[in-house]
Amino acid sequence: MSTPKPRVLLIEDEKTIRRFVRVAVEEEGCAVVEAETLAGGLIEAGVQKPDLLILDLGLPDGNGIDLIRDLRGWSEVPILILSARAQENDKIDALDAGADDYLTKPFSVGELRARVRALLRRRLRSGEGVTPVVEFGNVTVDLSRRLVVRGGETVHLTPLEYRLLSTLLGHPGKVLTQRNLLREIWGPSYVESSHYLRVYVGHLRQKLEDDPTQPRHFLTETGVGYRFMP
Amino acid sequence: MESESRLQIHAPERFKPWQGMLLTVLACVGTTLLATPLIGRLDLANIVMLFLLTVLLIAVKLGRAAAVLASVLSVLLFDVFFVPPRFSLAVENIQYLVTFAVMLATGLITGQLAAGLKRKAHEAELREQRTQALYESARHLAGALTLEQVTDIARQFIRRQFAADAALLLQDEYVHLQGTPDVPDFSVDALLARMASDSGEAVRRDEYSGDGHASLYLPLRASHRTRGVLAVAFADGSPELPAENLALLEALASLVAIALERLHYVDVAQNSQLKVVSERLRSSILSALSHDLRTPLTALVGLADSLFLVKPELPATALETAQSIHEQAARLASLVGNLLDMARLNAGEVTLRREWQPLEEVIGASIKLIESALVAHPVKVSLPPGLPLLEFDAVLLERVFCNLLENAAKYSPPNGGIDIVALDAGADVEVRVCDRGPGFPAADQAPLFDMFVRGDGTAGKPGTGLGLAICRAIVEAHGGTIAAGNRPDGGGYVSFTLPRGTPPVVEEERV
Repeated sequence: MSTPKPRVLLIEDEKTIRRFVRVAVEEEGCAVVEAETLAGGLIEAGVQKPDLLILDLGLPDGNGIDLIRDLRGWSEVPILILSARAQENDKIDALDAGADDYLTKPFSVGELRARVRALLRRRLRSGEGVTPVVEFGNVTVDLSRRLVVRGGETVHLTPLEYRLLSTLLGHPGKVLTQRNLLREIWGPSYVESSHYLRVYVGHLRQKLEDDPTQPRHFLTETGVGYRFMP
Repeated sequence: MESESRLQIHAPERFKPWQGMLLTVLACVGTTLLATPLIGRLDLANIVMLFLLTVLLIAVKLGRAAAVLASVLSVLLFDVFFVPPRFSLAVENIQYLVTFAVMLATGLITGQLAAGLKRKAHEAELREQRTQALYESARHLAGALTLEQVTDIARQFIRRQFAADAALLLQDEYVHLQGTPDVPDFSVDALLARMASDSGEAVRRDEYSGDGHASLYLPLRASHRTRGVLAVAFADGSPELPAENLALLEALASLVAIALERLHYVDVAQNSQLKVVSERLRSSILSALSHDLRTPLTALVGLADSLFLVKPELPATALETAQSIHEQAARLASLVGNLLDMARLNAGEVTLRREWQPLEEVIGASIKLIESALVAHPVKVSLPPGLPLLEFDAVLLERVFCNLLENAAKYSPPNGGIDIVALDAGADVEVRVCDRGPGFPAADQAPLFDMFVRGDGTAGKPGTGLGLAICRAIVEAHGGTIAAGNRPDGGGYVSFTLPRGTPPVVEEERV
C-alpha cells in the first residue's frame, strides 16, 4: 500500500501498559509515538500531527482533561481515553471536553484494537464528506430526504425523534454525553432533564431495534451517554 | 415606697440607722449652740434659716428619715431656745406658730426633695454600674469559646450584681434539659425549668427562695429555638425583684442564649468541615487504591493478550496459558472492583446520582456489558407494558443487574435461559432475575446477602460472597428491599424492589 501508516500518539506513564498498547496498535498497521507526560504529549501532538491520540487520564503531571481542551483549540484528531477510575465524572468531563471514546482499565487487547480501528476509520471517512444514506441492521436512513425505512416499510418519526436519530447517526461509534445530546436537541435549558433524552432514545429503540430491551445499535453507556453502532 | 426598699437592699449606706439618728441629733444641737451667741444680733427669722440649712444638709447626707427627725428637732429646739419665752415650749406671740409650721413644712419638703435627689443619683450610679457590668459580660460572652466559659461569665455576673448563684440548663437535640458540667450547690426544679423553656417566659417561685432552691427560671431564647434555661438561686431570703432587675437578668439571659447559639454553630461548622475533610481523604484513598490496583491488572490482562499477537504464533499450549492468565487477571480485577465498591458503599453516604429513567435501558446495558458471560444463557426480558420511569442511580443499578445476571449464569445449567421480570407491587416495582439452576436452599436466605457469605453447594464455583452484599447495599440505598426465592417450576430467583415515586411528566411532542 502506498498510503503512509497512520500515526498514533500514546500518552501513558506506565511502561508495561505502553508496551502492550504499542504492540496492539502496531498490529493495526499504525506507527506509534510514545510520551510519558502531559507536557511531552502536547509537544509530540504538535510536532507529529498524529491521526489518533490515546491518552491516560491519570497522568502524574496534571489533568488530562486540560490537554484535551488545549488540543481541541487547534486539532480535530480523534482522542481515545484510558481511565483507571471507576468514577463516571472524569469520563463525562473528558468526553464533554472533546474526547471521542474511552476504555476503562482493565481492558482487553481485542477491545482496544476495535476502538482504534473504529476511530481511524472515522478519521478517514471524515475527509470524504457525509454520506446521505446510512444503513444499519434492516434500517435505511436517507438523511437528504428525511426518510427512514425498516424492512421495506417507512417508519414514522416525530421531529424530535428524527433530530435525535440524525445526531446519533452523525457520530457513528462515538460516545455522545447526555449533556451534549440534550443541549443539541432540546436546548440549553433542558440539560438537567435527562429523562426526556431517555424516553426518546426508548422511542427510537421501539421503532428501529429488533429487541428494544437488548439494543444492538443505540447503545447505552451507563451514566455517560449513548453511542450509535452501525 | 417600693423604691425605698430597693435602695435598702442593694445600696450599702455609709452609716447605720442609729448612727444617722445620732448624727442628726448632734447636728441640730450643734446648730443650737452655734446660734445661741447670736441671739440679739440676728433676727429670729435668720436663725430659722440656719436650722433650715442644717435640715437640708442632713437630708442630703443622711437621707429622708434623718431629714424628718431633723425638721421636728429643729422646730422644738428653735421653740425652746430661741422663741420667747425661752426654755419653754410656750409661745408668747401666736405668730410664731406660723413660723413653726412653715419651718416644719419647709424642712420636710426640702428634706424630701434632697433625699429624693440623692437617691436618684445613687440609683443612676447603680444602674450605670450594672449596665457597665452587663456590657462587660456581653464582651466576654462574645469571646467565649466553650460552654464552661459561658457558664462562668453568667454566674459571675449574677453573683456580683445580685448576690445570687446561677446554673445553665441546656437543651440538647432531644429536648432534655441538662445541667452544665459544674454542678451548682443549689437544687433546681426540673418542672419549673421545663415550664420556662416551653413557655419562653420567665418563671418565678419566690416561696422556694433562700433554702438552696433556684427560684427564678429564665428561658434562653435564641433566634432559632430556646437553647435552655438560666436558673437563679438567691442566697439571702427572697428579695423583691423589681421589674428593672428582672429586665437586667433577662438581658443577660438573651446574651447567654446568643453566645450558646454561636457556640452551637461553630460546632456545626467544625463538624461539617471535619466531615468534608475525612470524606475527601477517604475518597482519595479509595481512588488511589483503585488506580494502584487496576494499573498492574491492566498490564497483566493486556500483556497476556499481546502474546496472541506474537509472530510467529506461539504453540497452542502457550496461548492457552496466556488465555488463563487473562481470565484470572480479569477475575481479580472484578474482585478488586467489588471490594472497592463495597468499601465505598460501606463507608456510607454514597451519593446516589438518581435520575428518572426506564428500567429496560439499564437492563439492556447490563446484558451488553457482560455479554461474554451470558453466551450460553439467553436472557429474556419481560416488562409490563406502561412501566413508569423509575428514579435510580443507573451506574449502581447496572452493578446490581450485572452481579445478579453473573450469579444466574454461574448456577444455571448450560443453555439454561435467564428471565428478567418486572412486576407491579403496589408502591414499589419488583424486579426478578430468575435462573434455571438448583435454586436456593429452603432455609432462611437473609444471610446470603451478608458480606463474604456463600450459599451451600457453591464450593466448586468461583466467587467471594460479595456480589449479593453489594446488591443489597445498593438496593437499600435506593429505599428498596432484596430477597431470594425459588420458582415453583424449578430454579431460583433474586428479587428486589424499587419505590415508584412520582415520575416527572414528559410533555408530548406536538406534531
